[in-house]
Amino acid sequence: MTPTVLGDWTGQDVGLDEVEHELSLLRSGDDGTEQRTSVMTHIAWVPPPWEAQARATFGDLGEFYPSRTILLLPRPDDPDGLDARVSMQCFPLGGGNSVCTELVELTLRGSRAEAPASVVVALLLPDLPAFLRWRGMPMFGDPVFERLAGLVDRLVVDSREWDEGLHGAYGSLAQHFGEHLAVSDIVWARTLPWREAIAQAWPGVAEADELDVSGPEADALLLAGWLRSRLQRPVALCQRDAEEVEAVAVDGEAIVEPSLPRPSSGALLSGELDRFGRDRFYEAAVRAAAGEYVRHA
Amino acid sequence: MTVTEANPLLEGLRLKRTPEPCIITIFGASGDLTARKLFPALYSLAFRRLLPEHFAVVGSARSEMSGDEFREAMRRAVEEHGRDPVRDDAWDWLAERTSYVPTEFVDEAHEDRVAAHLVEVDRQWETQGNRVYYLAVPPMAMPMLVGELGKRRTSQGWTRLIIEKPFGHDLASAKALNATLAEHFAESEVFRIDHYLGKETVQNLMALRFANGIFEPVWNRQFIDHVQITVAEEIGIEGRASFYEQAGAIRDVFQNHLLQLVALTAMEPPPDFDAESIRNEKVKVLRALHTPGPDDVVRGQYGPGWIDGLEVPGYRQEPGVAPDSMTETYVAAKLFVDNWRWADTPFYVRTGKRLPRRETTIAIQFKRAPHPPFEEGAADGLRPNVLLVHVQPDEGVSLAIGAKVPGQGMTIRTVNMNFLYGGTFRTDLPEAYERLILDTMLGDATLFMRADEIEEQWSLVDAIVAFWRRDRPAFPNYAAGTWGPSASDELMHRDGRSWRRH
Repeated sequence: MTPTVLGDWTGQDVGLDEVEHELSLLRSGDDGTEQRTSVMTHIAWVPPPWEAQARATFGDLGEFYPSRTILLLPRPDDPDGLDARVSMQCFPLGGGNSVCTELVELTLRGSRAEAPASVVVALLLPDLPAFLRWRGMPMFGDPVFERLAGLVDRLVVDSREWDEGLHGAYGSLAQHFGEHLAVSDIVWARTLPWREAIAQAWPGVAEADELDVSGPEADALLLAGWLRSRLQRPVALCQRDAEEVEAVAVDGEAIVEPSLPRPSSGALLSGELDRFGRDRFYEAAVRAAAGEYVRHA
Repeated sequence: MTVTEANPLLEGLRLKRTPEPCIITIFGASGDLTARKLFPALYSLAFRRLLPEHFAVVGSARSEMSGDEFREAMRRAVEEHGRDPVRDDAWDWLAERTSYVPTEFVDEAHEDRVAAHLVEVDRQWETQGNRVYYLAVPPMAMPMLVGELGKRRTSQGWTRLIIEKPFGHDLASAKALNATLAEHFAESEVFRIDHYLGKETVQNLMALRFANGIFEPVWNRQFIDHVQITVAEEIGIEGRASFYEQAGAIRDVFQNHLLQLVALTAMEPPPDFDAESIRNEKVKVLRALHTPGPDDVVRGQYGPGWIDGLEVPGYRQEPGVAPDSMTETYVAAKLFVDNWRWADTPFYVRTGKRLPRRETTIAIQFKRAPHPPFEEGAADGLRPNVLLVHVQPDEGVSLAIGAKVPGQGMTIRTVNMNFLYGGTFRTDLPEAYERLILDTMLGDATLFMRADEIEEQWSLVDAIVAFWRRDRPAFPNYAAGTWGPSASDELMHRDGRSWRRH
């Protein structure tokens, strides 16, 4: 759906006070949009290779949630400075209603890219949950990532975007599971129809020894991790690369392919933004995928 | 791990809400409700894969038609009334599980035919003897059908009955129907539907009250001046004269939707969200409802008028309505809930047909600030705080508060803070029937009415109808497209109040 864009403002080498001023102007329109609801702050860390995809996802997502979305576009090799673009995108819903989302694009140039948390903290909507969508492999241990993660309630990643070394990366991710940060992986959401299909094969899969997956490595690892953690038994994984999960078998028995169409990235991210608490089943699957599987008593 | 344990793979999956295998049999399957609501709801559940794999639908009605004809009619119904696009895979899944068997509800041989068909369908789709019977049949057919179903129930699997309204036409008939049901079925097997309770915003009323600590301290007689509940319909009787002539507004809407909204607004916080806990609290309110005197109830009937710029006939000119009909199309009443929380706090309720617009709202009007310290005239534009729950349309909540008008002086006026579902969440809200059918299949009766609730509601209605037998008002007494008879405004004015502005 094409949104109506209101108050499209851009500035180069700006201060945060100017960004905040522009945001306040968006709240005082004479078109009724001042009476808006927001449900969250959505922060996206978007290095250049992911920019186009991030914008497309925002297009899918914006109509679902009235929120403040802050796109952080790091350009560490450029001269120091902060460029900003502030707008409000209103998606008509019929009946005269719209879902309106504030979009703040911040280009963090030079050293500004080293401390994004200090920029974002001033722009968080008070008393509402904050989500961080991290594009690409998180910089585990790096202050840029750690401080941003420390600001938010939920970290959302897509481990299909991670280059390699998935076992180790899942292990690092698992270290972030805690009371103050819930973690979601869009791959986990993508595997839901297959997890449901495998669950339907119970009790035939109760003594599973091997899982065959034709699909991306991340999906295969999380499916295997889930099966190991739920069944509390070692399940070997045999994975063949494919763009999407095309086939799954347990001990050679094919699992009936889920019939629902694959949801868009925006819809999957949207589903993750509906979650507030920790998902212990996901966390257990990640630990098991990372080889951290422990048989529970 | 032994395979006899519960399936650990289901934990954390949405499949936990998938019902057990079952057949849903719709009696009255050729009717309007099935086409407009029930089958589109079943399709939406199939579309979202919320139905079990071992599942079947059996339509049954007096009309002679084949299974193919029924499926074709239902496909058209889904296309016309459904909220989801008709996708071949989802439709085929549902259609292959759908069959039709004609029946005469008063004929035992036909009932046997239905029973035999269900055995066959059960075998084909492995539904383990689990049955949901949806009774969308005329009231006179209900007791006999309940009896026939009771006689033919088997010990295999579970049985649940969904009973469409109207549930009786007075207290005696409701008690008789409850007794018939109790003869054959346990209360936990009976699901008396009021589709209002399946609406998201009605459920949101409970979320608003019980998830927000700021409201509980002020949700009582100390802070609330009165409550207004409006269920207004723009439409007329839409060709349902034979039903409406018998029912009128008091049995069609007041007895069920309106009184349920009163109960949900006034009930004490339940200890948990369990069906019995919620219904226990609701029934306490219904029991405590003070029977109003004749002066506290107004009835009306619409005459010709204008709606949306179109001239519409009066009720007595509607096809099938007696030219001297005394059936009411409008009811307003002042009710009291006799308990510590609400003593002396009036609940003004009204419902009517051919009112200016479709609207269901619950308005909680708070008492005025005790001593506004502003200069005389400064707060002339200030109205009392009102918390307004919009049940339909434009689902949401708004709060009217006083705010200073910008400028040199101190002038106060009322402004609205609006929370609109449509502006906050995706508006793709499930239809009430989807939720209610699924809940029945899951055995969750939270959003259904219990026998004692129904009887309390009828008890109040019987008392009102008893007053009405004593006089004969001059009908029609309001024009279509207006907010009801002038006596309704007088009901409020007598108390120094007025109906909310629309």
